[in-house]
Amino acid sequence: MTDSLELDGKRVSFSAGETLLEVARRHGKEIPTLCHDPRLKPAGACRTCLVEVNGFRRMPPACATRATADMQVTTNSERIQRHRQGLLSLYLTDHPETQPERLSKNQLVEMAERYGAAGDWGSMASERAGRREDRNPYVHFEPDLCILCARCTRYCDEVEAVNAITLAHRGAKTTIATVDQASLMDTSCELCGGCIDVCPTGAMTEKLPLTRQVKPSKHLKVVRSTCNYCGVGCQLDLNVDTSANEGRGKVVRVTSPETGTTTNDGNLCVKGRFAYDFVDHPDRLTVPLIRQPDGSFKEASWEEAIRVAADGLSRVKSRHGADALGFVSSSRCTMEDNYVVQKLSRAAFGTNNCHQCAAT
Amino acid sequence: MTNSIGEIRDADFLFVIGSNTTEAHPIIAMEMKRAIGSGATLVVADPRSIWLSQLADKHLQLRPGTDVWLLNAMAHVIIGEGLVDQAFIDAHTEGYEAVAEAVRDYTPERAEEVTGIPAEDIIWTARRYATTEKAGIYYTLGITEHSHGTDNVYALANLVLMTGHLGKPSSGMNPLRGQNNVQGANDAGATPIFLPGYQRVDDPEVHAKYEKSWGVPLSPVPGMNLNVMMKAVGKEILGLYVMGEDILLSEPNVSRLEEGMNKIEFLVLQDAFMNETARFADVILPAAIFAEKDGTFTNSERRVQRVRKAVEPPGMARPDWEIVCDLAKAVGHDWKFENTAQVYAEMVRDAPKFAGISHERVDSEGGLQWPCPAPDHPGTKFLHEGGVLRGKGQFQAVQYRPSEELPDHEYTLVLSTGRTLYHYNAATQTRRESGLAAKQPRMFVQIHPWDAKQRGITNGERVEVYSRRGTITADAVVTKEVRRGCIWIPLHFAEARANLLTNDAGDAVTQTAEYKVCAAEVRKIPEQVLSAE
Amino acid sequence: MAGPATGVPSGARIPDLRLRTDLVSGFLRRRDCVVPSCRSMFRSKKRHELPDALREIGGLADGRSKQAAERTGVPEAEAYGVATFYHLLARPDVSLRVCTGLSCRMAGADAVLETAQALGISSEGCSCLAACDVPPAVLAGRRVLPRVTATTLKQAGSVAALGSAEWKGAIGPDPGDAASLALHLAAPPDFSGRAFAAAQQLGADGVIAAIETSGLQGRGGAGFPAHIKWKGVASQAEKVRYVVLNADEGEPGTFKDREVLLRRPDLVLEGMAIAAAAVGASDVYLYLRGEFEIPWGIVEAAIAQFTASGVLGDVRFHMHAGNGAYICGEETALLEALEGKRGMPRLKPPFPTEFGLWGKPTLMHNVETIGCVPAIVLRGGEWFKQLGKTEAGSKLYCISGDVQRPGTYELPLGVCLDELVEAAGGYVGELRAFSPGGASSGFLPASERTRPLDFRALADAGSMLGSAGVVVLNTSADLKRAVFDQLRFFEDESCGQCAPCRIGTRYLREQFIKHQDAPDVRVEALRHAAEVAWEMNEGSICGLGQAAPLPLTSAMQHFPEEFEA
Repeated sequence: MTDSLELDGKRVSFSAGETLLEVARRHGKEIPTLCHDPRLKPAGACRTCLVEVNGFRRMPPACATRATADMQVTTNSERIQRHRQGLLSLYLTDHPETQPERLSKNQLVEMAERYGAAGDWGSMASERAGRREDRNPYVHFEPDLCILCARCTRYCDEVEAVNAITLAHRGAKTTIATVDQASLMDTSCELCGGCIDVCPTGAMTEKLPLTRQVKPSKHLKVVRSTCNYCGVGCQLDLNVDTSANEGRGKVVRVTSPETGTTTNDGNLCVKGRFAYDFVDHPDRLTVPLIRQPDGSFKEASWEEAIRVAADGLSRVKSRHGADALGFVSSSRCTMEDNYVVQKLSRAAFGTNNCHQCAAT
Repeated sequence: MTNSIGEIRDADFLFVIGSNTTEAHPIIAMEMKRAIGSGATLVVADPRSIWLSQLADKHLQLRPGTDVWLLNAMAHVIIGEGLVDQAFIDAHTEGYEAVAEAVRDYTPERAEEVTGIPAEDIIWTARRYATTEKAGIYYTLGITEHSHGTDNVYALANLVLMTGHLGKPSSGMNPLRGQNNVQGANDAGATPIFLPGYQRVDDPEVHAKYEKSWGVPLSPVPGMNLNVMMKAVGKEILGLYVMGEDILLSEPNVSRLEEGMNKIEFLVLQDAFMNETARFADVILPAAIFAEKDGTFTNSERRVQRVRKAVEPPGMARPDWEIVCDLAKAVGHDWKFENTAQVYAEMVRDAPKFAGISHERVDSEGGLQWPCPAPDHPGTKFLHEGGVLRGKGQFQAVQYRPSEELPDHEYTLVLSTGRTLYHYNAATQTRRESGLAAKQPRMFVQIHPWDAKQRGITNGERVEVYSRRGTITADAVVTKEVRRGCIWIPLHFAEARANLLTNDAGDAVTQTAEYKVCAAEVRKIPEQVLSAE
Repeated sequence: MAGPATGVPSGARIPDLRLRTDLVSGFLRRRDCVVPSCRSMFRSKKRHELPDALREIGGLADGRSKQAAERTGVPEAEAYGVATFYHLLARPDVSLRVCTGLSCRMAGADAVLETAQALGISSEGCSCLAACDVPPAVLAGRRVLPRVTATTLKQAGSVAALGSAEWKGAIGPDPGDAASLALHLAAPPDFSGRAFAAAQQLGADGVIAAIETSGLQGRGGAGFPAHIKWKGVASQAEKVRYVVLNADEGEPGTFKDREVLLRRPDLVLEGMAIAAAAVGASDVYLYLRGEFEIPWGIVEAAIAQFTASGVLGDVRFHMHAGNGAYICGEETALLEALEGKRGMPRLKPPFPTEFGLWGKPTLMHNVETIGCVPAIVLRGGEWFKQLGKTEAGSKLYCISGDVQRPGTYELPLGVCLDELVEAAGGYVGELRAFSPGGASSGFLPASERTRPLDFRALADAGSMLGSAGVVVLNTSADLKRAVFDQLRFFEDESCGQCAPCRIGTRYLREQFIKHQDAPDVRVEALRHAAEVAWEMNEGSICGLGQAAPLPLTSAMQHFPEEFEA
């Protein structure tokens, strides 16, 4: 069912259930938001998206107001501009004057610049408490940078549903807290890092391991790939420092694609977002190895190793027949890897004894 | 999965059985939570109070291995109360009468005795499932890793068919795949019965097609599946090529497998890390990991997505497919693949289900769900729309069979194994991640407070867990998360291998091992042993 | 136990006053609403018991939130979030709280607090205790004690020695005449249920018609026509509906609801029963601020009496005690608090009449408003309407500060300040300024002394009648201190949810201090005050933030001499 309303003087259609924000953005209107995330129920808390609607004395938040037939909506007016400037100027008085370096942009600061907020209303020291110490390995919380949009707490509740973090205290002391301000490690937190992903100001940020730290100013190459853990097939963006590892490149950070674009809808779990130490781990096998008569391994060239492997398998086949060979492929490897292994088994060695761990 | 991950959020009824979704498939769990947030009803059937059960409207905490009783009793209620979708049954299925007959004696009251689930909860669940249009079933290894795993799946399928919850959005029967590319590995033909695209090796037409296509003679005899192969190691199987799996950690009853490995003549191991299996290897080939290579994974919902090279592999490590091609060339088969796009193209050439998919399309469209028979086909979101693939949906009457090994006076507890959120399978990757290692550093065993008390065990204490096949040590976690009489251990820890304990009794059809039920026992570690540690 | 110690007479049947969990169970399918009330995924059927659980466990301390979470099935972090939100839960170790409201401050609250600290009593200042007529007021535990001066405290030496006698405030007219007063506080309670019986004769439509005729406006502050709410709830498709009493009186300068509960609980309960029957609700909820320990006991006993006699039909009363948060007087924050959550106002629309308690249509009224209902039913809407001077009905005015006899006065709606003060025995000293309707109404100059104290006339003057908590300041009062107190009050009581209020209240107070302390930056410091006030009014989610700048801006407007360099 579609209906129509008037958006900045133009008749536009909308479908039942759409919010003013959705309708406006669909029609190319610019409405700033900080607390909005399509995965979350609207909170209307950041107040940046207020618009004018005929018959409404107060400006309603576009994110939380459903479109109704024949509404007259204004997304830009003197009143709205004054509101945005005033609001963002207020936000700045409660925000550090100098920003710590972050791998992601500070959306509040960018927005304040864009809408011409005053930067000279003075500055107040934050009254927000952080956690005394948090030995969790992944998530750092910097209360000074927090604007209480509550995206992180709502994400933790509505999407991840672990409720490890909450709004605590009230008034200017309102902050993001765990129960008793305990370390995330001692709470229901599953370390998915969604709070980092949704934070607009970098108050929630990665605690990257030393080996993966990189200057925010450094240009990172972003490579879209598929997660290598479970079978959901989350899309993820590998952020690569191309000059690290003598030019081999290094995955320093993993981020989720924008919500609404992939199966995982912008979400990742703890493994998908953080578990990448293994990529450059010193335990990686880097040289082919051949067993010696004394039981030890010797390093070998590829030619030699392939030859020994091929000969060994061929010998078993010639002695006992092709079906004395077994090929264990891997559900962890790519389609292409699996295709060539089964072809190796069937076409090159002549047996259908080819399988992988595939109980589900 | 018959349906897509993206459809879960719109479901009105979620029946999650044998799946610890929040830990094993966190992102799918998020979709389930989203459905719950919009008002969907969630029923969790699991012996453990898994995390998801906290969000559930009902938690059916059944005794391990009694799934058939639960599912048949649900069928009993649905049939008895006339809640079946007769039109769907008539139009699209066969064998309904046999099932109706088979479940006649599975009353909810008797099911309560066997499963431990209150009869009224079984009735409630059956009614809600049958009468909710968008009702989906989600399951994983808790259903399949039993000696009667196939029966469990049939019993589930019977429910789906009799209620017509098939071929519609947000419904269906959805096994959640455990590994990134389980679906893909099977699709690609890494199975003993099927060539790529589920074409049987013993189908003469298929056989002829592939002999012609590949230009070599092929064996028409189905091969051994993994469970059979592992039992045959050292006997019929004397040479092994193992890519990317640590069979000595992941296979059940590993003591027996180790014996077999000692008798093997030649073993090639291809992996990114040293592992347990390497102890028996003659050649070890260093492989690239996913961030270092190109290709595709196919996820649980049959979606083909790209894997892209982001960094160079370390040292001399190379992508698996290149190594395999070299190996083939060394035995006289030069396939001349220059890149993975060409490999994929060859695969789809002979596999009609995938014929429309290519790297190029996946690149531009972000992902494609098969069946996708032609380059202009949009892919398939959910299967069986407007009917059932391959003719009629076949009902399969099943009867309850107890698990192979049940507790007795010597081994009084039921042991189940599984995954945790913080590790992955053999944990070769996750235990090399400092943060995850800190969150879950070592082996633990969940035990009910009552059972712990009986044995004088306190929370956090080091204990021994043993079965007829082996013994491991673990930290006791005393929790009501497990039922009384049941214990649970994760499978991730190499120094305390869960599979020293598990039973390799396989399912009659799939030969999948009974990882979920075996008889075991827990005891305190004598003082002197502890001090020696 | 859902509230303070009871004053139920022995032998009385004590009704179950807990919220009914069976009514909560099937609640809220979030798909239907843009703005959900349910802020958590966890489906605890005991969420609403969380504040009580926290209180029984002893308030906030390490480990207690976890205990409360375990008891109620809500997430641990959520329990912590709730525990830290409410002052009485967040700081359980404070044994004496001294009211720092305007009237109490004028009566020497600062000295009381200093004395308490000198005596080593764990003490702190607190927001208005709704006892401005008996200043300085203090809170011992959850009991408000009247007229505790520095001297009486010094003499007592400890909190326990201050005693805990029940007390009442002054009222007028006394004895008064039932024919000209809707509430008639001086009359004894009437438990006969005759108004309820009359309402049953009238039927739901008849009752609502009488309310409409009466012109009754909400007496909590907004002055919203009552019948629109009644019709709104009665016309909802949803059949499960609730009636909620807002007895979270906390607007500085206001104490009339306290007096109604102390003297005429019968009117409130009967009024709610009539309302419930009229809008089709069977459960009514009474939310009393946590500091109302004495009124709680009286109301509880009154419920017992009505329940025993059965004259109010089968309506079920449920009581809930607040835990120290002014914002919960905002109707949607109150609903959140009733549901056991942080008292953060919801976005409106939807309004409670459509989406209230647990998402169900809910009729919410202030104590005084609902207290008018029995008289309207008995004597007719037209009678009530004629009681007023400029607007409908008689009205309870609270008066405190520099007047002879502070108290609660029931007068025709629309009397002016001079008339009100005359009823209260006259001014003390010479009038300079007054606050007509609580902190949210700002300050007016003496020249407004003849302006009718009604909803419209005060709105026209940029102020508001609000809760009719009138505070009088004479020429010896420190106006700037009064402004500061009001600013700090709003800062302390901001829920912190939205930026204009959370940041704005603090910003104005800090700038005001700068202005006071450093004469050379005076003009500079308040340069943006008007713009911040504009933004707080436009941008805040609820009335608190919208009204919070008014004490400062009204003072700057009417008393510019105080702000000159």
